[in-house]
Amino acid sequence: MKTTRYLLASGLTLLPLALFGQGLDPALLLRAPTDAWPTYHGDYSGRHYSTLQQINAANVKNLTLGWTWRGNFTSFGAIVGGEGPDAPAGGGGGLGGGGFDGPSVKAIPLMVNGVLYFSIPDHAFAVDARTGRNIWHYFWKTQGGIHIGNRGMGMYGNWLFFETPDNYIVSLDAATGKERWHKKIADVKQEYFSTPAPVVIRNHVILGMGGDSLDVPGWLESRDPETGEIQWKWYTTPRKGEPGFESWPDEYAAAHGGGMPWQPPTYDPELNLLYVPTGNPNPVMAGQSRPGDNLWTASIVALDPDTGKMAWYFQCSPHDTHDWDATQVPILFDGVANGQPRKLLAQASRNGFFFVLDRTNGKNILSKPFIESANWFKGIDARGQPIRDPEKDPKVEGVLVSPNSDGATNWPAPSFSPDTGLLYVGTSQAYAMFYLTDTDARPQGYGAAERGVGSVEHSLRAIDYKTGNIVWKHPTVGGAMGLLSTAGGLLFGSDGAGNFVAYDPKSGKPLWHAGLHANPSNAPQTYLLDGRQYVLVGAGDSLYAFTLHP
Amino acid sequence: MRIAHCAHAFAALLIGSALGLVAQQPAPPAGRGGFGRGGPQFDPAAVERGQREFVTTCGFCHGSNARGGQTGPDLTRSVLVMDDDKGKEIGEYVKVGRPDKGMPKFNLSEQQVSDIAAFLHREIAAAANRGGYKILNILVGDPKAGEAYFNGAGKCSTCHSPTGDLKGVGAKYDPVTLQGRVLLPRGRGGFGGFGRRRGLAAAPQGPVTTVTVTYPSGQVYSGALVRVTDFDVTLRDSSGALRSFFRNDDVPKVETRDPLQAHVDMLAKYKDADVHNLTAYLATLK
Repeated sequence: MKTTRYLLASGLTLLPLALFGQGLDPALLLRAPTDAWPTYHGDYSGRHYSTLQQINAANVKNLTLGWTWRGNFTSFGAIVGGEGPDAPAGGGGGLGGGGFDGPSVKAIPLMVNGVLYFSIPDHAFAVDARTGRNIWHYFWKTQGGIHIGNRGMGMYGNWLFFETPDNYIVSLDAATGKERWHKKIADVKQEYFSTPAPVVIRNHVILGMGGDSLDVPGWLESRDPETGEIQWKWYTTPRKGEPGFESWPDEYAAAHGGGMPWQPPTYDPELNLLYVPTGNPNPVMAGQSRPGDNLWTASIVALDPDTGKMAWYFQCSPHDTHDWDATQVPILFDGVANGQPRKLLAQASRNGFFFVLDRTNGKNILSKPFIESANWFKGIDARGQPIRDPEKDPKVEGVLVSPNSDGATNWPAPSFSPDTGLLYVGTSQAYAMFYLTDTDARPQGYGAAERGVGSVEHSLRAIDYKTGNIVWKHPTVGGAMGLLSTAGGLLFGSDGAGNFVAYDPKSGKPLWHAGLHANPSNAPQTYLLDGRQYVLVGAGDSLYAFTLHP
Repeated sequence: MRIAHCAHAFAALLIGSALGLVAQQPAPPAGRGGFGRGGPQFDPAAVERGQREFVTTCGFCHGSNARGGQTGPDLTRSVLVMDDDKGKEIGEYVKVGRPDKGMPKFNLSEQQVSDIAAFLHREIAAAANRGGYKILNILVGDPKAGEAYFNGAGKCSTCHSPTGDLKGVGAKYDPVTLQGRVLLPRGRGGFGGFGRRRGLAAAPQGPVTTVTVTYPSGQVYSGALVRVTDFDVTLRDSSGALRSFFRNDDVPKVETRDPLQAHVDMLAKYKDADVHNLTAYLATLK
């Protein structure tokens, strides 16, 4: 299996390289990132770990600013595409950019051959990784959609791919920023909006979408990188006759059951399995029209990337009623469980549970809460899945639940370091009252209102994957945060108060920090360019590149 | 409340306090923000006419709220309706009907169709706009039990009195606001949605956390806590001036006091019935 895959990858490598010149060598996708960051997670594993150690615990005190980049979020000077009007209709979004506090870099920029590629809602940029200067800027005229954020781009040879809030996938020529084509993924009038970074596996561009305001189906799809045509679609809820259908009352409920896969998946090239975390079921908080577990929502699902066929699933929140997407990163690493070497998958899930699975078959190895305040479950079943307490489902008179719908953590990428065996994650212990507002037998949309009532703690936590125990925690002002660990004995993250921080991954002690103009808004990445290591982080409308001056 | 001396517990307390400042801002108006949300405006008269027309003409099959009936599908989830522009597509559909599925054609005027469309689009927008959801009757608790909890297990009477600071509180707040203030009187935290981090310097509502900064020399500064991180602390002193200080591990010593810490600590202890009963009791204090 391994040899076949390797040969296949090599075969692919030779041809596109000759064709694409300065494009992405697909072999880079199959090893730990060093002189490239070729995909959202850096590599397919989702570890957000780098083997680079030029910047390390001993010299991090000398880490200093290399350059900054601040985006121009108008169409001025940009290559313009898109199906929308010249001036966007409605209000609140301006010329895109997204976020609630203005444009925000939530993408993790790709770095290939000295160029950074990233997108934010309605915009794509190529930036010189040495200087932070724009190479090109592409602007998308939008038809609308929720401009909450964009996780960035996928790359195949010389072609780039990103998604838009009005649900198009756009392919650009990496060299020039010129559009090759765009294809509609989903209907913005049905409240779909698309935030994920496409993930490229061989000749598959794999993408999902978001949108749970109305009760619409979710799916993952694969497209041809050359033509943009659909290769396969996998619906996140079963159709009639498929396994899992019995977890829905009927065909209608399943077909309107949501489960948006809005996080870039991870991938094991040896097993040739794609690990897809899925979103919450619909209606979101009013569960009365969908009795049952509601597969495969709020789950981790393994798919064959060539066919979209499901190999196994594990459900993190059976019959979720609190908007707890399981769209946190399914992190892949090899480790030890019960004394045996195992291929593992770990997720710190939004519902407050830390899960470790055998990624060859989805069998549960460990399920344990990673926050103390979680009060919505009664136990863990034989499959390792939490048993929800129906008393904590939203009720007309209100129920007090922790975590709130933001969750114990959220989309920002956690990190796993093979050096420490610890998984690092930003956490919150917040409470909210959940009030059922739609008592109809056929509720619509969310069907309930949530009112936050406070937080008891936010912290950065280090979880031992072998036990699920919290080895250390360090208080922060914000909860979920993007993280990056390195072989230099460093853990880069933030404190939720505008500081970019290098922590000691063994203890959580801050070793270095820099106060930015906004709180870091993505997960940091790192690359080696001309022999120099950079650590790159986004904060609001800007990028900051830190390095050691020679 | 308590002033923690252990560095770790202390830090946790700091953060809990600082968070109050961050997390307790009012809710944004609707949904997840951005455009395409909170946007569509409807002529209320057209919606009302449309609703009447719908109930009379369409409700028998599609249900009076358009969510489906015995024979007709849910129109609020209909892709045709969602994609419709001001009744154009709906009008064309209705004119022909769907005889093979038992839907006759209807002769409706352009105005009737556009009114029905306005009603249907408003129904869909209302479902999508969770910021506009109306919370129903939450006063289901037992006021007597609430009073007993207030004076007993809840220890509310340690700090509060129904004839003192809480006099008339049931008239001052609607039940949902009242319940929120029982749980955390710092103002409401809004509804969920990651990414709505706000500035630390925003003025908190309600009692403020105070901080004392003590240098080894014995020099002491104190005031309202504005911001505290591992690296700095900012306070507003009694003159109203902002003062900030570097932090280097345990120097200077930073101690905070959150007057609402007892409320924060209670979050893990309440049973839902306690919350309902307390709310019902306080609502009687007119």
